[in-house]
Amino acid sequence: MQASWEIFCSVIDNYGDAGVTWRLARQLAAEHGLRVRLWIDDPAALVRLCPEADASLPQQWREGVEIRRWPADWQPVEPADVVVEAFACQLPEAHVAAMAARRPRVLWLNLEYLSAEDWVGGCHGLPSLQPEGLEKFFFFPGFAEGTGGLLRERGLIERRRAFQADAAARAAFLQALGVSLRPGERLVSLFAYENAGLAGWLEALAADATPTLLLVPEGRILGDLQRWLEVPALATGAEEQRGALRIRVLPFVRQDAYDRLLWCCDFNAVRGEDSFLRAQWAGRPLLWQIYPQADGAHWDKLEAFLDRYLEGLSPSAAAALQALWQAWNAGEGMGAAWTALQDDWPELGKHAERWCARQAARPDLAAALVQFYTDWL
Amino acid sequence: MKTAQEFRAGQVANINGSPWVIQKAEFNKSGRNAAVVKMKLKNLLTGAGTETVYRADDKLEPIILDRKEVTYSYFADPLYVFMDGEFNQYEIEKADLEGVMVFIEDGMTDVCEAVFYGEKVISVELPTTIVRQIAYTEPAVRGDTSGKVMKTARLNNGAELQVSAFCEIGDFIEIDTRTSEYKSRVKA
Repeated sequence: MQASWEIFCSVIDNYGDAGVTWRLARQLAAEHGLRVRLWIDDPAALVRLCPEADASLPQQWREGVEIRRWPADWQPVEPADVVVEAFACQLPEAHVAAMAARRPRVLWLNLEYLSAEDWVGGCHGLPSLQPEGLEKFFFFPGFAEGTGGLLRERGLIERRRAFQADAAARAAFLQALGVSLRPGERLVSLFAYENAGLAGWLEALAADATPTLLLVPEGRILGDLQRWLEVPALATGAEEQRGALRIRVLPFVRQDAYDRLLWCCDFNAVRGEDSFLRAQWAGRPLLWQIYPQADGAHWDKLEAFLDRYLEGLSPSAAAALQALWQAWNAGEGMGAAWTALQDDWPELGKHAERWCARQAARPDLAAALVQFYTDWL
Repeated sequence: MKTAQEFRAGQVANINGSPWVIQKAEFNKSGRNAAVVKMKLKNLLTGAGTETVYRADDKLEPIILDRKEVTYSYFADPLYVFMDGEFNQYEIEKADLEGVMVFIEDGMTDVCEAVFYGEKVISVELPTTIVRQIAYTEPAVRGDTSGKVMKTARLNNGAELQVSAFCEIGDFIEIDTRTSEYKSRVKA
């Protein structure tokens, strides 16, 4: 019988917690034939990503995954062979006790945040000695050898390339979203936290010689967008034109549709962890808004990723992209940085595809987790 | 109970009923304001060593051990020798000093604390702040007095750390031994 896995997801904010764990759960079930149970304390967050799911149900099955509401008053459940706590969430004490008592033993994993920093490799896979003789292993996703790799489904890159090569498929997908591209328009997607730097970027796009269609899925950035547009409200489907910039608000789409949106665009602004990674698999130039941390720790993480990502770019392109990312994350005027980037556009496109191919050549995170379990046995 | 991030090299925790001395502790920010601490541990009963990771806010039970003030005396390969105020000598292996090795140098006068498990010295803790002299660094950057621009400096024992760009060869600097980070330049 295949091993049973369970993943615990505590939704802190936004959609990263649910997004990453839902992807992982589906992949473990679909590609590795595992019995997978996903515990989530806020099923409503999952429903945004998987509209078929019903937030009111305590238990349901979707895409081969058993989804369980993680209740505040925990009721005893037999632990799975492998227990994954996502992003260091706190497991119920009673469940930890049940894990300690279970025979055969349980593999306990903490799936950590994605970071490009060097120290990650030194911590990946290490045990953490826990009470009652349990060991918990820290599993770090990452971009380098010695880390747990990145979430990537089997055949993803091939599917993406086929889609990008199929103009009709692209047009049909956009049309289904109510989007029709005008001749010569550059297509850009924007998924971001609130950002004071947005106005400067939009002004640069509006004044640009190249027309831009900016697609904005519903989310936290809409308030800044609305202020810049000076409109009373921005509903799904709203469209506004300012100079060379056309802006369209899209609905919040499910994960596979968001992938296609990223694949369609010439440039993607993304945030956090999940959309950041999906934009890399899109093979297109990107702009990352990192999750801000209280003491500025996110800057080291941003620079660590840039150190890796910029390798192989010409000095001018690397400097331009770095300046853009820094301005965006500082919430500063983006105009000059955006303008400086335009000369390097072709190079950035090729580089994004090379980066994607290089990362896709490494084992993916789900496979690495399964291998870790096999080795542990 | 203390959180993992409060433990320093040389301190001992009770983990599953065994005393483990922390030989090295590295703090790193992970994501969303969380952090992890990587520790090198040695079991004081079996001598077995292991590397481990804790969430920074994981709770561990500290074990309070006997301590005695000592100063570094000399190196007698492979042992480091410390001496107390009554001229008693205590030997300790390099591996047990790993967390503070970068600060050990001949002639240092810092009053340290030897930590005992039974009769045996298992670690030595340095003061939170120590003063060391810069043996080498690139020339000072003119005009920068903010202290925010950093550069690499080498200490007399060969250890390297980041210091303010205005520091020069021969300068004395304060170092925080908990983080191994430069604090400020001081007068000799």
